[in-house]
Amino acid sequence: MSNDATSGGSEKPAAQQSNSQAEHTEHAGQVLLPDLELNIERLQRFLGGGSDIVCRTLTHRSFDNEQYAILYMDGLVDGAAIHTMLLGLLEDANRTNELQDDGSLYNHLMDRSIAVGKIRPVTSIDEAGYAMLEGSTVIVVGHSLRAIAVDTAGGESRSVEEPSSQTVVRGPKEGFTENLRTNTALVRRIIKSPNLRMDYKVVGQETRTNIAVVYLQGIAQDDVVQEVHRRIDAIEIDGILESGYIEEFIQDKAFTPFPLIQNTERPDAACAGILEGQVVIMVSGTPFVLLTPVTFVRFFQSSEDYYQRYDIATFLRLIRVASFFISMLLPSMYIAITTFHQEMLPTSLLVSLAAQREGVPFPALVEAFLMEITFEILREAGVRMPRIIGPAISIVGALVLGQAAVQAGLVSAAMVIVVSFTAIASFVIPAVNMGIAARLIRFVLMILGGTFGLFGIMSGLMVLLAHLCGLRSFGKPYLMPISPFVPGNLKDVLIRVPWWAMRNRPKNMASKSNLKREGSGQRPDPDREGA
Amino acid sequence: MITLRQLASTVILFLIGSSSLFLLGGKADRDAWMSVFVGMLAGLMLLGFVTLQIQRLEPNRNLIEIFKLYFGRTAGFVFGLLYVIYYSYKSIRNVREFADLSIMFLIADTPLSVVMLVICLIGGYAVMGGPGVFFRMVEVLLPILLLIYVLLYILLFSSGLVDFGRLQPMLERGFKPVWDAAIPEIISFPFGEMVLFLMFWRYTESSDYGQVASMTIKGYLFGGAFITLMNVIALSILGPFASWTTVPLLEATNFIDIGDILERIDPLVSLLLFSAVYVKLTAYYLGASLAFAYLFGIRLQIAALPVGIGIFVGSFWFKSYMHQVNVGFEQNLKYHFPIFQIGIPIVLLLVMLMRKGVRSGKGRQSH
Repeated sequence: MSNDATSGGSEKPAAQQSNSQAEHTEHAGQVLLPDLELNIERLQRFLGGGSDIVCRTLTHRSFDNEQYAILYMDGLVDGAAIHTMLLGLLEDANRTNELQDDGSLYNHLMDRSIAVGKIRPVTSIDEAGYAMLEGSTVIVVGHSLRAIAVDTAGGESRSVEEPSSQTVVRGPKEGFTENLRTNTALVRRIIKSPNLRMDYKVVGQETRTNIAVVYLQGIAQDDVVQEVHRRIDAIEIDGILESGYIEEFIQDKAFTPFPLIQNTERPDAACAGILEGQVVIMVSGTPFVLLTPVTFVRFFQSSEDYYQRYDIATFLRLIRVASFFISMLLPSMYIAITTFHQEMLPTSLLVSLAAQREGVPFPALVEAFLMEITFEILREAGVRMPRIIGPAISIVGALVLGQAAVQAGLVSAAMVIVVSFTAIASFVIPAVNMGIAARLIRFVLMILGGTFGLFGIMSGLMVLLAHLCGLRSFGKPYLMPISPFVPGNLKDVLIRVPWWAMRNRPKNMASKSNLKREGSGQRPDPDREGA
Repeated sequence: MITLRQLASTVILFLIGSSSLFLLGGKADRDAWMSVFVGMLAGLMLLGFVTLQIQRLEPNRNLIEIFKLYFGRTAGFVFGLLYVIYYSYKSIRNVREFADLSIMFLIADTPLSVVMLVICLIGGYAVMGGPGVFFRMVEVLLPILLLIYVLLYILLFSSGLVDFGRLQPMLERGFKPVWDAAIPEIISFPFGEMVLFLMFWRYTESSDYGQVASMTIKGYLFGGAFITLMNVIALSILGPFASWTTVPLLEATNFIDIGDILERIDPLVSLLLFSAVYVKLTAYYLGASLAFAYLFGIRLQIAALPVGIGIFVGSFWFKSYMHQVNVGFEQNLKYHFPIFQIGIPIVLLLVMLMRKGVRSGKGRQSH
């Protein structure tokens, strides 16, 4: 398998460039001909002749009044760049006295008259067409066999805003956008290292989605980087609309509720990952970037943990871990204890619970299921509904389904408390996908708790543990550093030690030869400074 | 594949395993803990001079491969099969303990067959993952379980239940009852059971045999000390009642009562005990499946199926928990298990030494 990996990896990167598709499918009928009218017509036909194709023909006063055409897709280009370029070209076209020795209009335009930084020659119709689809402006020159693609990509896109998920009280408020270039720039602005590598790829035959693989050379593990390339290159699909597509193709194990790849909307979180040796996969068209390899414990870390003081961060992290277990276990424990192990409850509590449950017609398991499903529906409704209807849903949810259900004797008040507490706890986990995993597991454990009591819950947890122990993210054990136990990496699991004590990068992610991340003896010590 | 730390964790939890369910050395009454200690030392000798020596001579082979290599194809197969049966039988006993006690303490009305099926399934799930997954699981479980044990002991001490006076007078009837209780019962259970690790040692990451041996012995000593301590505490809480109760530790925790909140924590304690039993039964299940896989040259995932079915069906053989305990303590420990834990390994070691001696003798001549 590794042989395939290396051969596949070495061939494919050549196909990364955006013009690769054009080169592959090039055939005799597609080359540019020395006939401007024909070329324009063929190009229009290639692109389907939509009304968003803008074509402007110019005549150069020199070069025997040779004609050339400027073509671009309206809306995909940056208006200001087009304006500047056109202005320059018009001015140039009206000049007469600067006839060049080489005498070709193509060379003249290429070398002297385009006021844009990034230009490249194209030689075929589809190459020119794909360049236009990516926002380039194509200049087709009358008698030349080559055209010029000018990078004028732009158009409307969302500006950098505060991310809507993974919000923090303290920390940067910038979030990734849908624009790949903006996203790479946001990362470059934080990590100004020449070792920051960005490998570009195109995935999706129809969408031709741009993907950037970002990592720090020398800190990310080479085998992981290669594996990321290999797995992305192996994807064959018509379209990639979100990084979730990529995630499902490249994760290590298909059948697991647990996320094997982290995602984030926050440039600072992505950069923190890069600095620890993670590889970031950015997908054009979505603000969510992927981070890999990842461990289970990372999903409980919020970027804010590292901006707040370490003692506060530790406290918050313990709260999060506790919330994860509450979210997963509380309803099933409640069901198990009230159904099978009533003796565990203090007598007074037992009496009050029994009194509440007196009129309830369902067993605890059914009751809990009803309430949990109700809550899941409410939550889903909350996400999908138009914002204006929000208050109506809350009234129905809180009053009708909560209070009225208890008063009608359909569910017990204790169950409502358990379900609400569980629901709130599930929102504490910073990573949404891990929260969802806990939600799914909760239902399985509820059934086990309702049928086998604590024995069932423990059986479920054992299977869960075996499952977690078998998981890997890009070959790295998912439960690291708990198992395999890495004592040095425990500084950022349940507790977060002060920055000056976190001297090494995580062993499983960062390159073995480059683990050290800070100097020694940085603990603040006023006496030492005085001496 | 298995780190040294995982190996040591598994040795510890494997030893604690089901031994926390019984009062070991109960025949020595209040000196039972001394029997445990003596048994531990005797087991250490067995481990150091026999079991580990076998592995030292063939560090990259498991028991089945060693049998095949030294006893030839047929005899090796027979011995291998015997060990598959022995490991499966041990697993059966643990499944049955687990199931009976679960029904006794946790889920009174559930049919035995269903409980045993669930146990076999959760054991089988871990076995399917292979030794890597199982050993990693134990590594996660061990600190959690030890932490709960420590909390439990703090609770027991703070409830004022522990009275070391109950251990007095020591050696009232001399050392003989202590010795009698220890040999061979306590060697057979739990300390001689280390023979199972002949199936696992070769999967350790470290190629250095010395490290493997020293980590195993460290784990063994920790586990042994822990079992002895558990015995001391059970005796000093329950005194003479300790040997009558079904599960002494569970009985002891029944007395815990702190602030009217923590009145009955015995379901939680039984979960703690059962987790260790689960580790033990899965270890045996895994050992039997590995042995089966090597014996018949099939994949572990496939071997786990017939072995699992065998364990499930075999668990019905005992008529009751008492029957199971009785068969174990009255017959197996005295007559059957020593064959597998002491007899065959010693024979195997002698054969290996002779063969090696012949081989190296030849080698010397040729030089």
